[in-house]
Amino acid sequence: MKQSSRIFDLLVGLGLLGISGLGLLYFLINERFEWIPEFALELARDPQILKRPKAEKCSECHKNIFEAWKESRHSISWTSETFIEASENRSKEKCLPCHIPQSVQGEKPEPRMDLRDEGIYCVSCHFIDNKMNGPYDLLAPPHPTYRNPDYVRSGFCGSCHQKTFKEWKATKVEDTCQDCHMPRKKGRLTQKKGLNLLHKKRWVGDHRFLHGKITEKDVILETGWEEKFFSLSLKNNTIPHFVPTADNGDPRLYLYIQFFNDEEEEVDSAKEIIAPQQETALPYNKKINFRYRLFDPVSKAVVELKYQPAWSKDKQPVFSKAVTR
Amino acid sequence: MKPFRVLFIALAFAGLAVPIQAKDMVVKEPPESLSKYYPPQSKQPKWIQQMHKMSTHFGGVFVNLKEKDFENVDKHANKLVEEYKKTSEMVPEWEDYFDVKAAEEFAAAAKTHDIAKAGKASGGLGRTCGKCHAENEVSVWAKFHWPSFHKIKVTDPISEKEIEFDEYMGSISSSFKGVTVNFSEGQYGRAAKALKIFKSRFMELKSTCSKCHAMQDVKRFYVGSDADTAFAGMSRELNADKPNPGKFWKNIGLLGKTGCKHCHLVHRTNSFIQEMWEKPE
Ligand code: HEC
Ligand code: HEC
Ligand code: HEC
Ligand code: HEC
Ligand code: HEC
Ligand code: HEC
Ligand code: HEC
Ligand code: HEC
Repeated sequence: MKQSSRIFDLLVGLGLLGISGLGLLYFLINERFEWIPEFALELARDPQILKRPKAEKCSECHKNIFEAWKESRHSISWTSETFIEASENRSKEKCLPCHIPQSVQGEKPEPRMDLRDEGIYCVSCHFIDNKMNGPYDLLAPPHPTYRNPDYVRSGFCGSCHQKTFKEWKATKVEDTCQDCHMPRKKGRLTQKKGLNLLHKKRWVGDHRFLHGKITEKDVILETGWEEKFFSLSLKNNTIPHFVPTADNGDPRLYLYIQFFNDEEEEVDSAKEIIAPQQETALPYNKKINFRYRLFDPVSKAVVELKYQPAWSKDKQPVFSKAVTR
Repeated sequence: MKPFRVLFIALAFAGLAVPIQAKDMVVKEPPESLSKYYPPQSKQPKWIQQMHKMSTHFGGVFVNLKEKDFENVDKHANKLVEEYKKTSEMVPEWEDYFDVKAAEEFAAAAKTHDIAKAGKASGGLGRTCGKCHAENEVSVWAKFHWPSFHKIKVTDPISEKEIEFDEYMGSISSSFKGVTVNFSEGQYGRAAKALKIFKSRFMELKSTCSKCHAMQDVKRFYVGSDADTAFAGMSRELNADKPNPGKFWKNIGLLGKTGCKHCHLVHRTNSFIQEMWEKPE
């Protein structure tokens, strides 16, 4: 046998061994991680992760989740201009717990003393008892993890979204907050080159904590005419909490109605503010009625609905409809 | 920043502190250097924490004297002197309130382990605490615990413009008058229109509570069911063929009292004090 082919065989052998080694590692990490001895794990651990670091530290591996979170309102819960204004330059003590939580565990959190600019960050939501709590039973070599079923339950969000949680619970709808606001996609939890391939794909929740959209399918308008009255109703048909919903924010729907006569001249108008802080928000699956007395002859009404989020003064159109007699 | 005098009305401030001498009370703006120990400058309310430390050691001396745990009596006595000294250095403008000698004398008396002696010697030290509390606690509450209404803006539901809180109060009060004046003149149609405007302005106040309160239940007061009852009662009369003035005025009275006056009684006292301090010299 030639020298070169021997070397070739050796290389193939080593390669196979390498591949099967990697395969074994993949198998161990994903399927039998309880077989890996504690001392071996100690070598892979990065102690910095357990020292309540900034979100940036987690991004060394959880890059995609980090970038999504960066886009979320949670990442700016402390630096938001509108929050700073409402909390009198963050001096109101009652306003701190949910905006800079130390640790989220199903009830109103305690405020945090350090890294306040991080707002509601990875450590607030995941770090309990020196482990990264999450929805999975898995092996993360760099840090200990713990499968905690609360993470896929609405009660977790209800630690801070207390009013919204109560509203949701009363609807008895099964979809959780996470189902709608953190929709899951198949992907990898980590993006660290090479190493991430050792972990299988899983469902990853969208950490942008999507706001959700209101359309005319969600808020249903019905109208009716009587001789001297115009009536209308709005029904929150799809969203299993009040619309809008809030704890301390002040999001609103503005409903404008303009009345026109035969000559297309505006003869009267009305306005409603539909806001959780004023206890006028739309409950789930229940018609809310409004009735207007018409003093002049009216042949047409234009009904317009606009939405203004808690953190902005801009109103976004939801729908505008003309209804004739 | 002029100190301003309010007649000390025992009723209004009952239970706050025991006034030391005169019936006049000066509510003077707390010294600037105290701000270091409160948010937002400090993450924690350090001044209060310091108070709790002194209070714990002060109390600790007597609790342990009673239990005859003399080792801990001595510990608390020493700690009290240490914390008292530390506190006396925190706010230079308040230095004169402290009497370190009195603290040391108390500690010495406590260390004789004779409860009667300790009790007697505590008077001098206790008075230094009491004097400062009587003269400053209300001011400190107004400055560091009461958020300012002057920094709150309200969106007027009619114009959709943001205006200052006190300006908003002005407009709410003139729309209230729009209702009462028109009604007393028998202009029921106009009164009904004015009532709509007034009601939407009043309801807008509900959006201000959450800027200071994290507990939703407070909205049962002032802007809760009493107000709803009053508004419903007024509308009922205005929509009736023959409005009943007696019923109408009764509801006006209910709203004015539970809706405006009660909220003023709770919230305006501190606002008055803060306003004085905000005025330029
Ligand atoms: C129990 C938890 C909790 C407390 C305490 C709390 N908030 Fe919030 N806050 C929330 C939640 C949840 C939201 C997001 C949903 C909403 O709009 O309510 C929010 C949103 C906001 C918003 C809108 C978003 C933005 O950045 O502009 C403002 C303003 C705000 N809060 C101010 C305050 C103020 C002022 C206080 C103190 C009086 C306070 N919060 C106390 C939970 C809380
Ligand atoms: C050096 C890489 C690395 C860093 C840095 C890192 N992680 Fe992880 N993390 C992992 C790996 C690997 C997994 C497991 C992935 C898998 O099995 O799909 C994981 C899993 C997780 C899980 C899932 C736990 C479960 O049981 O569901 C959470 C939550 C988590 N990490 C949070 C964090 C947080 C928060 C930080 C920052 C404080 C952080 N991680 C930093 C590598 C890292
Ligand atoms: C530690 C408290 C806390 C927890 C836990 C929490 N949130 Fe939030 N959330 C907030 C605060 C505070 C804000 C407002 C941030 C801001 O805009 O200043 C917010 C904002 C939001 C928003 C954006 C609202 C808007 O007006 O745009 C959504 C959506 C949201 N949260 C969903 C969730 C979901 C879903 C969960 C559970 C997985 C959750 N939150 C858990 C405190 C929390
Ligand atoms: C407001 C709380 C909150 C914050 C902030 C947050 N997470 Fe999560 N995270 C959750 C919840 C809830 C889940 C479970 C989502 C689900 O239903 O699958 C989760 C899931 C995860 C998982 C497991 C994969 C998955 O989506 O189920 C990882 C890994 C993770 N988070 C990492 C992070 C990192 C890294 C950060 C910071 C960049 C972060 N999280 C910030 C609440 C939070
Ligand atoms: C069936 C899907 C669905 C579920 C379940 C759901 N939401 Fe929503 N949520 C929406 C939609 C759609 C919107 C946008 C409409 C709106 O602004 O109210 C929204 C809006 C929000 C907002 C923005 C506030 C606002 O109204 O401006 C917050 C905060 C929120 N949801 C929190 C939660 C929490 C917390 C839960 C769980 C207790 C939850 N949601 C459950 C669909 C859902
Ligand atoms: C130089 C002024 C001053 C002196 C001297 C002083 N205090 Fe105070 N103390 C204050 C002020 C101001 C407050 C109100 C703090 C607040 O509510 O923010 C206060 C509040 C307190 C409180 C109530 C804390 C709370 O949680 O509301 C206690 C207890 C207390 N002091 C104990 C003492 C004791 C004991 C002494 C004497 C050994 C003492 N103080 C001496 C100024 C003083
Ligand atoms: C500028 C801040 C501010 C605003 C705005 C405000 N409050 Fe208050 N209120 C306070 C403070 C401070 C207290 C003293 C006790 C405390 O800190 O809660 C208080 C006390 C109260 C109390 C006594 C019970 C309690 O919580 O201690 C009630 C009831 C109350 N407020 C109702 C309301 C209502 C209703 C609104 C809205 C219409 C409102 N407040 C708006 C600051 C405010
Ligand atoms: C949140 C509770 C609250 C309610 C409810 C309320 N007020 Fe006020 N009002 C205040 C406060 C606080 C001030 C002091 C504002 C300041 O100092 O800037 C004030 C000030 C005023 C002033 C003086 C304005 C000025 O220029 O200084 C008038 C007039 C007034 N209110 C009328 C009313 C009337 C009329 C109602 C009922 C229809 C009412 N208020 C309901 C809290 C309230």
